[in-house]
Amino acid sequence: MASETVLELREIEAGYGRAALVLRGLSVTVRQGEVVCLVGPNGAGKSTVLKVASGLLAPRSGTVQLSGADVTGRTPQALLGLGLAHVLQGHSVFREMTVEENIRLGGYTVRDPAVLRKRVAAVKEIFPVVGERWTSIAGLLSGGQQKQVEFARALMLEPKVVLLDEPSMGLDPKTTQTVFDQIDLMRQTGVAVLLVEQNARRALEMADVGCVLDLGRVHISGPARDLAADSRLGALYLGGAAAREAGEQSPAAGQADVR
Amino acid sequence: MTLLLQGLALGILTGGLYALLSSGLSLYFGVMRVVMVAHPAFLIVAAYLTFTLHTGLGLDPLLTLPITVPVFFVAGVAIQRLLIARLASDTMAMMSVLLTFGLALIIEGLLGTFYTGSYRSISMEYATQSLALGPVRLPYDRIIAFAVAAVTLGVLFAVLRMTRFGQALRATIQHPEAARLIGIKTERVTGYGFGVGLATAAVGGAVLALITPFFPAAHWVWIGKLMAIIVVGGLGSVQGAAVAALMLGVIESLVLVTVDATWATMMFYIFLFLTLVVRPQGFFGGRLAQRF
Repeated sequence: MASETVLELREIEAGYGRAALVLRGLSVTVRQGEVVCLVGPNGAGKSTVLKVASGLLAPRSGTVQLSGADVTGRTPQALLGLGLAHVLQGHSVFREMTVEENIRLGGYTVRDPAVLRKRVAAVKEIFPVVGERWTSIAGLLSGGQQKQVEFARALMLEPKVVLLDEPSMGLDPKTTQTVFDQIDLMRQTGVAVLLVEQNARRALEMADVGCVLDLGRVHISGPARDLAADSRLGALYLGGAAAREAGEQSPAAGQADVR
Repeated sequence: MTLLLQGLALGILTGGLYALLSSGLSLYFGVMRVVMVAHPAFLIVAAYLTFTLHTGLGLDPLLTLPITVPVFFVAGVAIQRLLIARLASDTMAMMSVLLTFGLALIIEGLLGTFYTGSYRSISMEYATQSLALGPVRLPYDRIIAFAVAAVTLGVLFAVLRMTRFGQALRATIQHPEAARLIGIKTERVTGYGFGVGLATAAVGGAVLALITPFFPAAHWVWIGKLMAIIVVGGLGSVQGAAVAALMLGVIESLVLVTVDATWATMMFYIFLFLTLVVRPQGFFGGRLAQRF
């Protein structure tokens, strides 16, 4: 039996201010306990997809559905309450606060102290580094540790789906492996993950479904492992088969590296 | 030696007052990168309100605080919602200087209209006496000002550290987008943060009225000193500004008793210049203080 669809973006068109559209009719579906990975050259619109999904950016057209309900244009706060968490690109820990303060703030909307205690214990179990560095200032942790604190903070509200924006950015290979292991752990707990990654081959090896974005729409999609072996992926990164097909050149195509 | 001790003691008391007066400025900048040039003008408004309540109702200046603090808090929230929130976020620091400079001029004009340009002062009997500690004499009004500043800053730190609102405000200061994504209503928190900043001006103004004469244009005397303090302390850091305020208060006082008043005031600008050259992120804003 197919898993329940948790998040669905349909025919999304979106852009920033009055500038040209970044997303042009993009559609993506994420099911329970599934990791969907978005890859593509710089400027393809990967991070914009996550911003639209989490309510940080309202789409100009198209719909966002969370567990079957239309949530298009809802605020991040509202979507958080409906089970959607978003971990931003780069480091987004509250740098001058302790790990404890960061994690407790993840449960900012939880009023019941007993529930909060239970959730803290749960994330400490999934992310041991959180317990080990509980009283440390978050901004002084290593990049990988900060990323794990961000993951733990995002899981404090027991979301159905987590959006992860380039979680391996700036991390060394060993730490990247740890971060991917943690994403796998999230999947095992039944959480759906929509992942944006520059580290395309590595991400597609661990994801269930892969979507290659170019020029604001999904260019190729399918089982992630098949996609990792698809020769079109390299061609797209190296200069844009899709760009040629679309009759225009992506401004940043070819800048991303396939590792 | 006695003169130096006297200067040191007065400097500590004055520094405590500076810490209170600059705490609001640090909050505004920390919360939303607003350079609130009108903060000292609101200090003078608070001084006049205290004067009016004292002369009209016979209230002790410090007993006016339960009236003025809530009024200033609400005014702060309103200013943020109605004026500051309309500025574009990418040019906030620059545009907020222009906006609040205009606000300061309007306030000065209105005060001049209602109260005239004459000096006003509040003279309490207890404020004219002093406490003798060996060779050092400490005026009671300065001791009261220091005590009020210490209590107010203590409450402010406790609110920022221990309350749900304080945690949300600090999170909003450190990463607004991440704060939104964990469910903090950052627009509301920012408004309240601005209100808290202006509420400190209500306390500061009451204390100023107690220790020094004031007139509508007196805010220009303060803006330079307070700006220097928050830059030396580390923009956006309330704790950093408090340490810088104490340090500059002591230095000013020691230069005042050993050199002259001109050089004493000059010290603020010398330290401001040195900070911008050597350590633009400020000296006391913590290891992670944001660069200017």
